[in-house]
Amino acid sequence: MEKESFYQEFEVFSKRTPTSHFQHQFSLLAPNGEIALVMAQENFMRREPVVDIWVVNRKHVHGLTQDSKQALQRLDNKDYRTTKGYGYLKKKWRHYEQGMLDEKEILSWAGGGKKDE
Amino acid sequence: MSVATQLSEQKLQEQFEARIAAGDKIEVDDWMPEEYRLALIKLISMHGISEIMGALPEKEWVPKAPTLYRKLGIMAKVQDEMGHGQLLLRVAEDLLKPYGKNRGDLMIDLFEGRLKFHNVFHMETKSWGDAGLIGWLVDGSAIISQTNMLGASYGPYARALQRICAEEVFHAQHGEAIIMALAEGTPEQRELVQDALNRWWESLLFFFGPETKDTTGTSKQDVTIKYKIRVLSNEELRQSFLTKYIPRIQSLGLTVPDPTLHFDEAQQKWIYEQPNWEYFKKIQRNEGPCSQERLTLRRSSYENNAWVREALTALAN
Repeated sequence: MEKESFYQEFEVFSKRTPTSHFQHQFSLLAPNGEIALVMAQENFMRREPVVDIWVVNRKHVHGLTQDSKQALQRLDNKDYRTTKGYGYLKKKWRHYEQGMLDEKEILSWAGGGKKDE
Repeated sequence: MSVATQLSEQKLQEQFEARIAAGDKIEVDDWMPEEYRLALIKLISMHGISEIMGALPEKEWVPKAPTLYRKLGIMAKVQDEMGHGQLLLRVAEDLLKPYGKNRGDLMIDLFEGRLKFHNVFHMETKSWGDAGLIGWLVDGSAIISQTNMLGASYGPYARALQRICAEEVFHAQHGEAIIMALAEGTPEQRELVQDALNRWWESLLFFFGPETKDTTGTSKQDVTIKYKIRVLSNEELRQSFLTKYIPRIQSLGLTVPDPTLHFDEAQQKWIYEQPNWEYFKKIQRNEGPCSQERLTLRRSSYENNAWVREALTALAN
């Protein structure tokens, strides 16, 4: 049984840079979301760079039980879903004297593909 | 009904031990044996409350810091210690839920002597040399004992320690900066450091606790090692502290106040004069030089700030 308390539990998330993902930081206690945001800065962002903060009341978080987590384990038979299953193409393209457009190459096209030399 | 609840306690215990053995991280809602939960509660609530009690001897030096820069540095450190207390109490109270307890109860336990705070924070600070020495060697000791648990089997504690240890590095360097300035200063300033070391030496040996429970009657190190919450024993930590810090202390021309101290090559360990463990037990009973004064300060600030908690109740969603 939990005692009556005006404190509520909030999970804190923050972004380091405009392009980064929100990352879970920790939890804290606060009477409401507004104070939770202030506390989040005081508790977790005294030094590191931060551009945005979310606080989420823990009662709104739906998670998995210990048993359901076991269902997350994957069998190692999904080559057709990943680039790993198509690795043989590299050799094929070499035969045709062409380079492979792999993940590294494709993601390097960001920003118009202009590489900093 | 989930599979887990149908399993017998025995089966759950076996699964749990297998997870510990496999280096798995245990999370707050996972099944855990009561022995594990209680060991964590005892360890983490003591750790959390000690961070807060540890801010008290430190904050005494905020008004007395010699320069504005030093004042800002020590204020940042005091704020960090309170922040560490917040993190750790969060971890402790999630574990305390099945018992219907929260951080308010921990505070009462502290006031009524059921919950201990770390032996090093019962001691007096007399000079600015002490403030530097605490940062350098007490925080240095804290880093050794906390990195010993960075790989703790309990996930939330390991994550909290990751944050804490990163900030402790700043604390240790802050202390080193104070000591370095004094050690390279006037003869009076050097004497300030030597005097601080003389008075704090016994406390530094106390820091990691007794070698075995035979010394003082109790020790929780066995159960915490069994459940992979920590790796090294108290004595191993103390030896590691001596190996890391004795050469540094001596390099600054300081003298350790123990003429018997030396490294024994044959045994590959430091030999030192045992501190007075009877005195250690007294400190643990809150009968140290500043135990009551700091408890009173904590108690009165808890009572004086009650109105803030009450005022915030009105704003609760």
